[in-house]
Amino acid sequence: MRHRADFSGGELNVIVLIKHVIDVELNVRVRDGSVVQDGMTYVLSKWDENAIEAALVLKDAHDGEVTAVTIGPERSGESLRKALAMGVDKGVHINDPATEGSDSMGYARILAKTVTRQPYDLILAGRQSQDTDQGGTGPMLAELLNIPLVGNVVEIAAVDGTKLTAHRNGDAGKEVVEVTLPALLTANDSLNEPRLASLRGIMAAKNKPMEILTLADLEIDPATVGAAGAGTEVVEMQPPRARAAGQKFEGAPEEITKEVMGLLVNEAKIFG
Amino acid sequence: MTSLTNDDTLILETIDRFIEREVKPQVRELEHDDIYPADLVETMKGLGLFGATIAPEYGGLGLSTTLYAKIVERIAAAWMSLTGIFNSHLIMAAAVQRFGTEAQRREFLPKFATGEMRGGLALTEPDCGTDLQAIRTTAVRERDHYVINGTKTWISNGIQGQIFALLVKTDTTAEPRHRGMSLFLAEKGKGFTVSRKLEKLGYKGIDSAELVFEDYAVPADRLIGGEEGLGLKHTLSGLELGRINVAARGVGLARAALDESLAYAQVRKTFGKPICEHQSIQIMLADMATRVKAAQLMVESAAAAYDKGERCDMEAGMAKLFASEAALTNATDAMRIHGGYGYSKEFNIERYYRDAPLLCIGEGTNEIQRIIISRQLVERNPV
Ligand SMILES: Cc1cc2nc3c(=O)[nH]c(=O)nc-3n(C[C@H](O)[C@H](O)[C@H](O)COP(=O)(O)OP(=O)(O)OC[C@H]3O[C@@H](n4cnc5c(N)ncnc54)[C@H](O)[C@@H]3O)c2cc1C
Repeated sequence: MRHRADFSGGELNVIVLIKHVIDVELNVRVRDGSVVQDGMTYVLSKWDENAIEAALVLKDAHDGEVTAVTIGPERSGESLRKALAMGVDKGVHINDPATEGSDSMGYARILAKTVTRQPYDLILAGRQSQDTDQGGTGPMLAELLNIPLVGNVVEIAAVDGTKLTAHRNGDAGKEVVEVTLPALLTANDSLNEPRLASLRGIMAAKNKPMEILTLADLEIDPATVGAAGAGTEVVEMQPPRARAAGQKFEGAPEEITKEVMGLLVNEAKIFG
Repeated sequence: MTSLTNDDTLILETIDRFIEREVKPQVRELEHDDIYPADLVETMKGLGLFGATIAPEYGGLGLSTTLYAKIVERIAAAWMSLTGIFNSHLIMAAAVQRFGTEAQRREFLPKFATGEMRGGLALTEPDCGTDLQAIRTTAVRERDHYVINGTKTWISNGIQGQIFALLVKTDTTAEPRHRGMSLFLAEKGKGFTVSRKLEKLGYKGIDSAELVFEDYAVPADRLIGGEEGLGLKHTLSGLELGRINVAARGVGLARAALDESLAYAQVRKTFGKPICEHQSIQIMLADMATRVKAAQLMVESAAAAYDKGERCDMEAGMAKLFASEAALTNATDAMRIHGGYGYSKEFNIERYYRDAPLLCIGEGTNEIQRIIISRQLVERNPV
């Protein structure tokens, strides 16, 4: 499978994968084992903003087209519109009830079918989505497409001809990775500072192309995705344990130190 | 009440982020040192704010007044001076859009919209502000141009701006006096100089200047609308929008004073409890919040009427009067609630306290506002 656009002209066609997620800055409540959706607001997952910014920077340098793709219900269109307002050229929205309940693999399957409809040089995604924090979709998609993956990218150092050099945060430190295009990169939030969607951009976004697709359009068997096709199942959700209130110590530094050390050793037993 | 569209939500989100990222971190330094926020102006240009209410066909965004007022409220809550940089500019633009000739619109509005050309309103003179019909700046026609002489003062953006809607007398003998008044688009050039920057209590960062016109020649086609004698009418009709805008600033300031007081009152403790549990503080907080809510609703309703093309001169005046007084009272109450810290330059309260009085003076003093409201009441309700 060659899904590389003709790079001879120097143009770089980038696909950005984005997700519209529950706003985790708000108080997320769990009831009966699932997240209470009532009254929640949704936002563009933050690492996806970094991915969009990276795509737009590349577009400025190399021309080409940036397409944003999302899977989700009607409301997910908001994040696509935001991407368009930031400067993305085209939106693709896979809106099909059968995608609901997909796990990372399900999303990756749908995306694999979606992105291969047109030639591309690079796929960018957030390193994880802000709602589930799984971080599986990007790597799984790279695998399905059989293209190289660089995860947790903190810098895109160079793009030339058929190669791209990226810096990633690895376990042991920064790694410099060179890949052959097309490739998939997932963005760390220190990759860049996402631009603000300008008011002009927001108004202009209305006139940009937005394609809405169903699974049928993509010739995907609904049984292979969504809750039906999920290989993983979330059996229970629990709200994070509430943190106990901190304790404040007042007095002379020597005395406080003694008191705190006593508590750490005897109560918290942190020195085992 | 008015519901926001998706675009409106995105726009306000952009504004909020701009404020958090770029305005708040440097507002105190810029304000105290009275530094013109050149980098913020560049960002505002990029965002499109200088074309916010200019029609899309002339390169603007064509935002509704309702949305525009919300933008102004938010920015004013962070730093009122910033709103002055694009506000009187947009009122100048509105005068061109509503009353200018098609050639004037095509020539100027696109440049105003990008912020490439910025400016404001030059109405006030050293000897008169409220009584604009008493202005002494004159324009005398000579063949294809007018020669202008006079002095304008307190002109916002006077130093940084390049072009101003300039109110003059083309006929000093006309009766009634306004028949002899005209509004020009005056671009800086020979004979048009800035004589000084005015130092002031608050509203720092934005430049207020005295402008001097000495045999300043302006081409006749810069007379807005091309017809003499309509200047005061054009000016006053722009003030409706101006009042809604000042009212929105008042809401922003009143809300900022409330928000900070509300937070502070919950953490500051005296006599063993947070001060928000002392009744006298509770009374102030309740009154402050009530003022904010009422002012917000008045601005929304005046803006909605304006957007629908309904008459709203009195409503805009009421919103301006109430919201500016709310800002002043809330700023004072915030200072009481913050105690000594309210007086400190390390907090924002002292800035609100210095900024708020301007709202009671500018865009028609509140005394005049009351007179106009009362006149309109009688006019609309004859017995
Ligand atoms: C920071 C700042 C920025 C400004 N920016 C601009 C600008 O960009 N462009 C511009 O043209 N002007 C600007 N102004 C000027 C402003 O609009 C005037 O100061 C205002 O209109 C009041 O006019 P005045 O100062 O001449 O006061 P006056 O008109 O002399 O009023 C003095 C007092 O008398 C009261 N009064 C006047 N007439 C009556 C009456 N008939 N009945 C009862 N009371 C009355 C007034 O309410 C006030 O209390 C600015 C002013 C400031 C301070």
